Amino acid sequence: MKQGIIFLLFCLFLADPATHPALAAVGCDLNDPDRDVKRLFPGSTGYKTHYMSIDKQGGDPQLRRIEQRLGDSFQGLYETVDVPYTIYEILNGAEKIGYIHGVNQKGHYGGIQVFLVLDLDGIIKSFYLQKLTSRAATQFRSAEFGKQFEGLSLADFDAYDVVTGKTTATGRVNRINNPAPEAADDFRAVLRAAKKNLILMDEFVYGNRFLNNI
Amino acid sequence: MTCSRNSRPEEIRRSPWRKLFAGWALWVILCACPATASDYLLYLEAQGVAGYSSRTDEASYYSWMADEVMQKPSLGVDFLKRLSSEAGDFGAFALQYRLAWDDPEDRFQSQLYNAWFKYKAGWSDLWLGHNRPAMGLSSIFDTHGLLLPTLPMYGFGFDRDWGAGASRDLDWGNVSLSLTTGSGMPVRFDGNYLATARVAKGVLGKDNYSLGASLTSGQILGVMGYEVIDREPRRTFLGGVDLTFLRDFFETRVEVVSGRNRGERATAIFLREGVNLMDEGRLKLEIQPVSWQTAGRDQYSLASGASFQVNGDLALRFMHLYDGQTGENRFVVQAYGYKKM
Repeated sequence: MKQGIIFLLFCLFLADPATHPALAAVGCDLNDPDRDVKRLFPGSTGYKTHYMSIDKQGGDPQLRRIEQRLGDSFQGLYETVDVPYTIYEILNGAEKIGYIHGVNQKGHYGGIQVFLVLDLDGIIKSFYLQKLTSRAATQFRSAEFGKQFEGLSLADFDAYDVVTGKTTATGRVNRINNPAPEAADDFRAVLRAAKKNLILMDEFVYGNRFLNNI
Repeated sequence: MTCSRNSRPEEIRRSPWRKLFAGWALWVILCACPATASDYLLYLEAQGVAGYSSRTDEASYYSWMADEVMQKPSLGVDFLKRLSSEAGDFGAFALQYRLAWDDPEDRFQSQLYNAWFKYKAGWSDLWLGHNRPAMGLSSIFDTHGLLLPTLPMYGFGFDRDWGAGASRDLDWGNVSLSLTTGSGMPVRFDGNYLATARVAKGVLGKDNYSLGASLTSGQILGVMGYEVIDREPRRTFLGGVDLTFLRDFFETRVEVVSGRNRGERATAIFLREGVNLMDEGRLKLEIQPVSWQTAGRDQYSLASGASFQVNGDLALRFMHLYDGQTGENRFVVQAYGYKKM
């Protein structure tokens, strides 16, 4: 009887909306930061890991603004206000030379992890797809596909509609080819993740330098 | 840990070190100040676990074995802090602690899981404390909140052990070594030790597979959770192969271990097949046959499980486990919460 009461108390604690505002906490870390940072950022001598989340920085108003910039609402396990975003600040000696940041994105076969390597101006230096269990993973991880993102910034993604998967203006994002036409869902998910990644970095790190009047 | 599930120790000695360390570490956590950008993660963990056994025809409040630490109704914290200088990160400190309701002892039990300091030496990551020994699936598979048992609960190796280790990721995989006490959850120095090494090809989070080979050698104690069943260190020498493979919606985990376990010839074959369903893989269904032989006696169990992720913080799980040795059917439900603070 006593044990049963204790079990119920634990379950009540779990069900208490005060302790569970139904918010996810699914982070996105590099598998092996030491190796990955060296590989993705040649010339780096070290890195510092920072954890940031919307609820700690700007709360609901910031979340609304991010959703507006993305053109889609945050939803599901990977896009809640308390998700801890892991930002790797890349160093050369004591000097900051760039960032690596990854986001989780719902794909056709579960989560996809999209990492962007960014310089201090928010320009993509390289693109890295970490987790992807789809059988089209090889094509999406190819160097040819990743190269199409190099040199892009959030400004290039402004015209990309993450809901329809179409661009409203001719631009570099429009020219990114899907390497696996049979995996169109995952291709759209990757582009949505890239745009989301850039918006979050603009909010967290770059001081909203790419924020237009929305 | 090839001990009878029903055997109880005559005398249970408690280690003061565990409480001292947990107290110090909790103080460190409480000193962590909230900030917009931080170098630490702190999660609160809570779970309710209830089961029914056809053998005893009674309800019980643990997942499978009364003396094992996982899973029981509990409250806990999971803390990770990065340590850095001007030149960047040089290490990390982790603490994973639970206060669990110990049924049938009818009391609360203090449980320390992760309690390690990691130093990034460049050529390798070096760790010291309570961590996963470099053996088999358990060294790479986080089962902290899961119901289905892994091989350490069958007596093959330890989910956590006290000691030191090194791990180096390479382009093609990983090499890990550890030298630990061979006592599992409690700290004991009775001439016991465990040396383990694992070489793996493939990085699971990138290549969707990891194929590992492990070698384990030492003199280990007979332990179930915090209970030392046999204080006499006994010879252990095990070789093992493990494979984790992800493909589309499916997850496959296989492990085969063979050699001498606590002085007796022993072999274990473990298979867990899972499928992720619904949006974002919220629903996971799994089956798990396990066959093991100790001192010539064949045993097996058949388990199945379902896990539903209600939201990012709350999962509901169910397990059915049939024990071929006793004929017991065990049904377990769990509500598991994990909330970032």
